[in-house]
Amino acid sequence: MIVLGLFAALFTIVIAGCGVTISMLALAGRINLVECACLSWLLGCGVVSLLLWICGAFCSGLLLQAIVALLCLVLAIAGWRAKRYANAKFDVPRPATTTEWILAGIVAIEVAVLVFVSFKHTLGWDGLLIWELKARYAFLNGGAIPSSYYSSSGRAFSHPEYPLAIPFTELWLYLWMGEPNQFWVKIIFPLFYAACAGLLALLVSRLSGKRWIGLLIAVLLPFVPSISASPGGIVVGYVDVPLAIFYLAALGYLLLWFQTSDSRFIMVFAACSALLPWIKSEGIILWVVLVLLGFVLSFTKRRLTQFSVSLVPGLIVILVWQFYLRFVHLWPQSDFAPPTWSALRNNIGRLHDIFGILFAELSETSHWSAFWLITAVAVIYLLASRKLERIALASAVVGPVLLYSLIYVFSTWSSYSAHMMSSVPRLLLHVMPAGWLAIGLALSQSKREIQTL
Amino acid sequence: MRLRHYLHLALWCALFAVFIWLSGPIVGSATMENRVGPAETNRSIDTYLNALTGIEHGSEKLPDVLRRLGKNGSLVIFVRNENAESEFIGMMVGYVSWPREVQVIKVPGPTVEKELADIKPGSVAGVVFCSVNPPTWLQNRVRLGSSIILVPVTQTAP
Repeated sequence: MIVLGLFAALFTIVIAGCGVTISMLALAGRINLVECACLSWLLGCGVVSLLLWICGAFCSGLLLQAIVALLCLVLAIAGWRAKRYANAKFDVPRPATTTEWILAGIVAIEVAVLVFVSFKHTLGWDGLLIWELKARYAFLNGGAIPSSYYSSSGRAFSHPEYPLAIPFTELWLYLWMGEPNQFWVKIIFPLFYAACAGLLALLVSRLSGKRWIGLLIAVLLPFVPSISASPGGIVVGYVDVPLAIFYLAALGYLLLWFQTSDSRFIMVFAACSALLPWIKSEGIILWVVLVLLGFVLSFTKRRLTQFSVSLVPGLIVILVWQFYLRFVHLWPQSDFAPPTWSALRNNIGRLHDIFGILFAELSETSHWSAFWLITAVAVIYLLASRKLERIALASAVVGPVLLYSLIYVFSTWSSYSAHMMSSVPRLLLHVMPAGWLAIGLALSQSKREIQTL
Repeated sequence: MRLRHYLHLALWCALFAVFIWLSGPIVGSATMENRVGPAETNRSIDTYLNALTGIEHGSEKLPDVLRRLGKNGSLVIFVRNENAESEFIGMMVGYVSWPREVQVIKVPGPTVEKELADIKPGSVAGVVFCSVNPPTWLQNRVRLGSSIILVPVTQTAP
C-alpha cells in the first residue's frame, strides 16, 4: 500500500510537470521525450509544492490532497490539449552511433546505481533536521506547517525561513503513502539526479552541436565525489543538488534562447529560474546572477522586453515568500549581518582568509577530485573564445562562486572561517552542473576557435 | 593548425584521466558501503538515536516518555556548545518532541549549574541534558540512552 501510494505521488508530480512542460514545448511541433521527462520532474516538483503551500492555507487533510491531485490532472489535460492544438509529436532521440549507444547505456546504469545507493544511506543532518522535518510537521498537521513553527525560537535550528519546494515534495509523498516514511521519501533525490544527467546531455548536445560530447559529460557527472560520496550529495537528501539542477536548466535555456531566439526556451527559463528561490534561500543569489547575465544577453539581441517579462514569475515567488515569512512572524535569526557599508569596512580584512578557505576547498580532491581544475581550464577556453554566450556561461560559473565567498564577510558566527568551512562545500555544489556545461562547450570548441587560445 | 587540435584533445584526455583516476576509488568505495534498508518509517531518526545514544526505536520511545510530562509546558534542552554530537542529539530531541515548544540552550562546560537557575518552573514541563551533566543535587533523573537525561520539572522542586 505504501509503495502504491508512492507511485501515485510520483505519477501526479510527473503528469502535472508534463502538462506545464508540454504547454511550453508544444509550439515547436516536436517534443523531445527526454527533455520532456526531465523538465516534467523539475516543474512537477515546483508546481505540486506551490499548490500544496497555497491550497494548504485554505484546507487540509484528504480535501487538500484531492484538490492538489485534481489540479495536477487539470494541468496534464491542459498540456495534452496544447499538444493536440499545436499538432505536436513526441520525438525519441535515439543515439546515432555505437559510441553514443555506449555512452547512453553508461548514463542509464549510473542512474540505476545512484537510485540503489540512495536507499543505502539515511538522511543527513540537514536532510533530516532542516528539510524532512518541515515535511513531517506539515504531514502531522494535515498538510500545512503551523504558523507557530515559524515563530518558535526553539526550532530556529531547522531554518524555518528556508522555502518549501523540497519539503512539500516530500510532504506530497507522505500524504499519498499515509505516513512520513523516511526510507521511501529518498526516491526523489536520485530522480533529480536523473533529470540532471538528461538535461546536461541535452543542453551540451544542443549548445555544442555534438551529441556524443553531451553524453560524455553526463557520464562523467557522477564521478564528482560530492554528488555521491560527500555531505550535501543526493544520497543524504540535501537540496543543494536539486537547486544546482534548476540553475543548470535556467542557464542552459537562457543560452539556447540567446542562440536561437526561440520563445519556448525563454518560457522554460522563466519557469526554472522562478523556482530557484523556492528551492533554497541561496537561490535568490543564483537568480540575481541569471538576471544580470540575461539583461546583457537580451540587450545585445534587442529583446529586453521579452526577457523582462520572463523575470516576473521569479519576482513573484521571492516577494510572496518574504511577505509570508513576515505574516507568520518568523523568529529573527540569521547567520549573516545585513550587508551594510560599515559591516563591509569592519570585516574587509576577512577576505584573505576567505579566499584561502575557498582555494583549499576547490582543491579538496576528496570532495571534488579534479573537477575545479577542469572547470578552470574550461573557463579560460570560454573567455578566450570571445563569444558573448560563452563568456556569459563562464561568468555564470565564476560569479556565484565569488558571491558565495563574499557573503562570509558578513558572517555573524564567532568563527567566520568555521562557518565557511562547514557550508561552502555545499554552496559550490550549486554551480557544479553549470561547470560541466562549461566543460562540455569548451571541449567542443572548433579548430578555428582553438587557434584563438 | 592540426598540432593545436591534437594538443587540445590531449589536454582534455589528460584532464579527464586525472579526474577519473582521483574520483574512482572515492566514488567506488562510497557506492559499496552500507546496505539497503530496512524500509522503516522512521529509519533516519532511529538510526541516529541508536548510534549516538543506544536507544532502539527512539522515534517511538522518546515521544512516549515526553508525553508523560503532560500536554502543557515547554521542554528545555541543554547541549554542549561547539560539540556537534551534543547539538545534534539536542536537535533530534527537539524534532521528536513536536508539537511541544522547545528551548535549546548551549552551555560552555560539561555541567549545567547556573543556567538552570534561569528557568521558570511554571512554564517548563521538563529539562533534557544532551551529553551534558545535570548538577548533582538534581533528583528524579530519567536516563534515556547513554547521553540523554530527562528531568521532569514538576518533580524537581527541592
